[in-house]
Amino acid sequence: MTINHDPLGASFRDPSGFLFSRAGILYRQVNHTASKDYSRLMDSGLYERLVKASLLIPHSEVDAPPADASLSFKVIQPQRVPFISYPYEWSFGELKDAALATLSIQKRALKAGMTLKDASAYNIQFVHGKATLIDTLSFEIYQPGKPWDAYRQFCQHFLAPLALMALVDIRLSGLLRVHIDGVPLNLASRLLPARTRFDFGLQAHIHIHASAQTRYADADVKSTVARGVSQNALTGLLDSLEKAVQKLNWKPSGTEWGEYYANTNYSDSAFEHKKETIARWLNENKPASVWDLGANNGEFSRLASRMNIKTVSWDIDPSAVEQNYRAVKAAKEKNILPLLLDLTNPSPSLGFANEERDSLIQRGPADMVFALALIHHLAISNNVPLPRLADFFAGICRQLVIEWVPKPDSQVQKLLRSRRDIFDGYTREGFESAFGGRFHIRDSVDVRESERRLYLLERR
Amino acid sequence: MHFAPPPYFDPGSGSIIIQVAIAAILGIGVAMRGSWGKIRGWFGYKPAPDDDSTDDN
Repeated sequence: MTINHDPLGASFRDPSGFLFSRAGILYRQVNHTASKDYSRLMDSGLYERLVKASLLIPHSEVDAPPADASLSFKVIQPQRVPFISYPYEWSFGELKDAALATLSIQKRALKAGMTLKDASAYNIQFVHGKATLIDTLSFEIYQPGKPWDAYRQFCQHFLAPLALMALVDIRLSGLLRVHIDGVPLNLASRLLPARTRFDFGLQAHIHIHASAQTRYADADVKSTVARGVSQNALTGLLDSLEKAVQKLNWKPSGTEWGEYYANTNYSDSAFEHKKETIARWLNENKPASVWDLGANNGEFSRLASRMNIKTVSWDIDPSAVEQNYRAVKAAKEKNILPLLLDLTNPSPSLGFANEERDSLIQRGPADMVFALALIHHLAISNNVPLPRLADFFAGICRQLVIEWVPKPDSQVQKLLRSRRDIFDGYTREGFESAFGGRFHIRDSVDVRESERRLYLLERR
Repeated sequence: MHFAPPPYFDPGSGSIIIQVAIAAILGIGVAMRGSWGKIRGWFGYKPAPDDDSTDDN
C-alpha cells in the first residue's frame, strides 16, 4: 500500500531509509534493514549525547503511515532545517567546521560501538549557527577491526577542498559544484603545491591516497580488509585527519567590500537612516524569512536576524562571507546563515536528473528579500535589463526591499568609468516602471543626505 | 576477519589499502600515548578530558 507522498530527489542511495514529505511535513522512513542500527543509536545514549552537543538533528518517532509499508520499520519526523545550503555555498570556516563536526561525531560514535557509514558534506547543515548532521541513518553498528568505509569520502568532501582553498585559491571551493561526490584526490594532488608533500597529513591522506587509488583501482582488497584496522589504528587515523583539518587556515583579506562601508558616499547619518527605515519595514511586516542578497558582512541582515527572523546572508565575496560567519560564531547567533552566491550565476539544480541539489530559486521564495546597493551591479556590470531583474526578484520573494542607486552615484560612475554607457533606461522612472509591472510599491523613502532611494515592494 | 561490505557505495580498493597502512602506523602512536598515560597515572597525573565532555562545535 502506498499513501500519497513525495519522495525527496536526493534521498535514494542508502537502502536504510529515505526522506519523504506529506502535506508539507518532512518524514524519514527507517527501513527494516536498518532497524538494528537505528535501535542501537537510540538505546546506546549516542543519539541523546549528539543532540545535546548540537551535532545531530533531533527527531521524534511518529505514527504517520510509512511511504512504503513493505520496507518500513519506523517513521520519524526530523526537526526541520531552516534553510538547506550546500558545501559550494559555504565559506572556508563553514566547510572546516562541518569537517570537524563529522570527525567529532565519528569519534563519539565509536565510543558507543557505532560508526559513520558515510561522511558526505551534504549530510551536514547549519542549524542555529552550528554544523549539524541531518542524516539520522548514517550510523551503523561498528564491527571491531573494520576499516572506515567513509575514509575516501571524507577526504574528497572535506580535506581536499579545504586544502585547495587554504593553500591554492579560495575560489577552488567551486570544484565542489562540479564534482558532486567531492574533489577527486588525483585532481587535488595535482593542484596542491609541492611543499604539501612534506606535511604528513596532506601527504598521506591526499597525495599517497591518490596514488594508491590509481595503483590499486582493481585490486581485490578482501585480504587487506581481513587484516583489519584496530581501534587504536582507527583512532590514530581520525586524530590525524582532525589535525590535518585543524592546521588548514585561511585568513580573509583584501575583501572586495572590505572597505566598502568606509568608501561609500554614505554619511553616518544616511547609513543610520537606511537602517532605521529597514528596521521599521521589518517591524511593520514581520516577514517569516529574509534573504539578504549582496549582504557584505551581514550588517543589514542582522536587523532581521535580531528580530528572530530566519535570515540567509548571501554575498559573492568569500572574505565577506567568512567574516560574517566568524561574527556568527563569536556572538553565537542562531538566526543568520552566511553563504556564498554569485547572483549572475546562482547555484543550479545538480545531481542525478538534476534533482539531488536544489537551485537557489527552488529553495525559495523568501518572505522578504533585501537588495541593498545591489541593482547597479546587476543592471550595469552584468547588463541585465531592469524588467528582467524585476521578473527575477518576483520569482524569489513576496516582499522586496530594494535600494535604487542612480546613475550620478559615485559607485555607478565607478562601474561606467571604463565602458560605454549603454544604459539609457537606467533611470528612476525606468526602474519604477519595470518593477511596477511585477510589484506594488508599498512605501519608498529618499535616503537622507544621499541620492539613493529605498523601496518596499510587494509582489502583485 | 570477515566484514560486511558498506551498504550502498564502494569505499574504493586503493582507499581501503592505504587506510589500513596509514592507520597501522598512526595506531602505534595512539597505543604509545595510552601506555604513557598509564605510566603517568601511576604518578598521579590525570588524563585530559576527552571529546565527549566538550561542546566545541
